[in-house]
Amino acid sequence: MAFYEVYSHPALIRYKTNVCTRATLFVLMVFCLTYIPPLLVAYKSQGFWLKRSTYEEQPVVQFQYQMLMIGATGTAGEFVAWSTFPDFNRLLGSNLRIPAVSVKEEDSNQDGKSDRLRLQLSVPLKAEEQIYSIQLLLTFSYQLFRMSTVVMQSMAFIQHSSSVPGSQLFINGDLRLHQQIPLPHRGLHAAYNVSVVETGSPFATSYDLASIIRAYQARNLTTYLSCPTPVWIIGRAVNAPFQINAEVRYPLETISYRPGFWEMIKFAWIQYVSVLLVFLWLFNHIQTFVFQNQVLPTVPKPLLKTHTQ
Amino acid sequence: MSSISSLVPSRFLTLIAHLVIVITIFWSRENNVRACLPLEYTNEEYNQEDTRLVVALSVTLGLFFVELAGFFSGISMFNNNQSLLSTACHASGAVALLFFLFEQWTCSIYWWIFGFCSVIPALYEMFLLFTVLGLKKKPL
Repeated sequence: MAFYEVYSHPALIRYKTNVCTRATLFVLMVFCLTYIPPLLVAYKSQGFWLKRSTYEEQPVVQFQYQMLMIGATGTAGEFVAWSTFPDFNRLLGSNLRIPAVSVKEEDSNQDGKSDRLRLQLSVPLKAEEQIYSIQLLLTFSYQLFRMSTVVMQSMAFIQHSSSVPGSQLFINGDLRLHQQIPLPHRGLHAAYNVSVVETGSPFATSYDLASIIRAYQARNLTTYLSCPTPVWIIGRAVNAPFQINAEVRYPLETISYRPGFWEMIKFAWIQYVSVLLVFLWLFNHIQTFVFQNQVLPTVPKPLLKTHTQ
Repeated sequence: MSSISSLVPSRFLTLIAHLVIVITIFWSRENNVRACLPLEYTNEEYNQEDTRLVVALSVTLGLFFVELAGFFSGISMFNNNQSLLSTACHASGAVALLFFLFEQWTCSIYWWIFGFCSVIPALYEMFLLFTVLGLKKKPL
């Protein structure tokens, strides 16, 4: 027959005393020293309140089929241009060249969100004209849904110039989001759901690229084309049109946001309680020592009931 | 009392730990003094802050001497109240001064640590010394 411990449970000893005694003072001091230092430790070691966090989401991007293209054909300020805005085209006069446009938006992983835009512009040119630089503006609608709902109109601006005349411009890049401030964690954010280019105004200033970009960059949320280097291909045949091939990807974005109240409290609580456990263990041992050895006088309630005669 | 086997040594250890840290700060007080001063300071300002910290540390050492005198002479060695109070104050003082030294806190914080962790046990020690030596009461 082997004897082994099959079960055990702690027996509670209660220590009683009056309100105005050294033991009460001691317990009050220990209470303060147990619950306040973990807060100080957690706060002073930085990162107690979560002020900024990130999440990943692929945005819902749709090409808005509004474009503006300007190509410089000489060093004396000659240019050709085209856009999808009839007012702008009217202002161009004889500088207007209407290209053949081919657009395709692909959803390669079939998740309902477009992943890539393929754009081809073939700009017809006169035989003696040469293109030296291209400025291209593309508009998109950009939507985020996971935390706060963001609905905005954004754009990608591509500019390339060369000292040699070219026959083709090949652009391949990602449409990236640029945030000036972190997004809120909930709510609707549709302040930028206005068209990037102000249509409906017959004045030329609304199509001035500098003022468009100035107004656009003043936003807190913008998109830009992250393109390492466009490829400028030279050697245009005499009657061939100028080709612009653009491939814009819509990648998975890491978006920074300001966490809400409960997320902040959750992380603060985790930090506080994990340090509190150490202090609780330490001061439990100290209190057990003090009261068991009667360092401060208290009345312990006896374990076994005494029979009164 | 069975508490003697643990209470007296713990009081001694926390006293000595606090003392050691005060002496360490005494010898390497440059960084702490520089932390009290603004980015641009003159030599006079440095010397003034240095003197202040030296005065504070010296007063602390004086109070330590009082408390060690009472402890080693046996007058307050077996007094439960003073043991608990002294252990608690000197333990928190040692931890606070550790942070003061390593995190380079400003000089004004030292006065707070001094007030809570050196003055209180020394005052009670002086009270005990007075009652035993002056009023001829029993030490325990």
